[in-house]
Amino acid sequence: MLNSNDAIISKTPDGIITSWNAAAEELYGYRAEEAIGRHIGLIVPPEKLGELGEIMARLGKVTGTQKIETERLTRDGRRIEVEVRISPIRNASGKLIGASSIAHDIGETRRMVRELAHTVDNLAKSNAELEQFAYVASHDLQEPLRMVASYVQLIAQRYEGRLDNDADEFIGFAVDGANRMKNLIADLLKYSRAGRGEAFTEVNTATALEEAMANLQFALRETAAGVTHDVMPRISGIPPQITELFQNLIGNALKFHGPDPPRVHISARRADARWEFSIADNGIGIAPEYRGKIFEIFRRLHGRGKYPGTGIGLAICRKIVAHHGGEITVDSAEGQGATFRFTLPEYVGSDPNNCVATST
Amino acid sequence: MIEILLVEDNPGDARLAVEALKDGKFANRLTVVEDGTSALNYLRREGNYREAELPDLVLLDLNLPGKDGREVLREMKADPELRRIPVVILTTSSAEADVLKSYNLYANCYIVKPVDLAQFVTVVRGIEDFWLSIVKLPTRPEAHGG
Repeated sequence: MLNSNDAIISKTPDGIITSWNAAAEELYGYRAEEAIGRHIGLIVPPEKLGELGEIMARLGKVTGTQKIETERLTRDGRRIEVEVRISPIRNASGKLIGASSIAHDIGETRRMVRELAHTVDNLAKSNAELEQFAYVASHDLQEPLRMVASYVQLIAQRYEGRLDNDADEFIGFAVDGANRMKNLIADLLKYSRAGRGEAFTEVNTATALEEAMANLQFALRETAAGVTHDVMPRISGIPPQITELFQNLIGNALKFHGPDPPRVHISARRADARWEFSIADNGIGIAPEYRGKIFEIFRRLHGRGKYPGTGIGLAICRKIVAHHGGEITVDSAEGQGATFRFTLPEYVGSDPNNCVATST
Repeated sequence: MIEILLVEDNPGDARLAVEALKDGKFANRLTVVEDGTSALNYLRREGNYREAELPDLVLLDLNLPGKDGREVLREMKADPELRRIPVVILTTSSAEADVLKSYNLYANCYIVKPVDLAQFVTVVRGIEDFWLSIVKLPTRPEAHGG
């Protein structure tokens, strides 16, 4: 794989440079006339001379090319990481008369790989820390919150109507605030637990959908909703998370319905090695400017009086889908219903070796 | 008179339990101790608690200063005198690990404290109703003389 950017040098068995191409000038910083005639030690760091000596010694005995990853010195004193392929040069009678070496800079690639690994490592750490934080925070916040909520409620019970109107109103606000905080913490805990760990298994999405519908039976009856679906595939995932995903999305469709009873249709189609699901409703829809924002944690688009809830459902959906390697999007126009789409991995069988033809 | 021992380090929580049991069905006496060591001293009638009555029911918080609830539970269930006393774990922790560990240490039941006052009262009354009325417990032995 000779490439015009490769630095090509040749040298005698004693290490005296005999040729030096333009790419070598570029890589090492010495012009050909400066390098030719000098010892190779010009560009080899002192501690790498031994390594080079061993290669030269082997060159007499072997015929092939030797490849090493090592360091070289440039004219301006920088150390660069290079891959070098060294081959013997023989005369007509087969006597070793020198060596050619072809080198290119691998520092950039190495640096990028190292940086990437570092970034991935940092991300994993900060993710884990964040989850731990949310979990601990929500747990530890429960205790003082219980005190505030319980005693405010106790005051409300015992003293409502016995103080003045202002006091009753203030107590009302305090009770309401404590209740909202309670819901937020409970949902934060739910969010921090969602989309974590557990091994993937075969999930029959028809079963997951059935379970989601059973959990939603009261809302389904209350809204006189109609839910239909295509043939539901088997996928690879974590069963309770898939149920929760369907439940949150269908639950949303029931909650944000328009003047007509909600109609929801769930379909699934193949998309490479994944299944793309869509959940379409005839509800109030989402204005385009909010389409990206609705998946954020505690993001709400409506007043609490109109639609209750903390705004955790879709954030949990996004986390579950991400944990299954997919993305969730929504397609909607205000007043014209919404269609949520997400992908889940296909089920490939319990033993992947069964599907792979072995060649011997 | 039904004797209940509540092991709870948060005075606010202890007071809530007192309030909840105040108008309970059964005449009860609720004693509160604030840490694990005191709880075990009380149960063994040692130190400051030589006059203590052995309780019919123990309500135990898990996170306590010093010797925590898990250790109190372990020692109680390893003690032939104390192991028959039902222990109700009453805690804010809903962590799966705490639930499992408590039952593995022979907790009689595990209850997560509800945030809501009305629910808390319902839970405490429920504990009282179940353990002191529905369930048949062994007769309490006479307190040690002296």
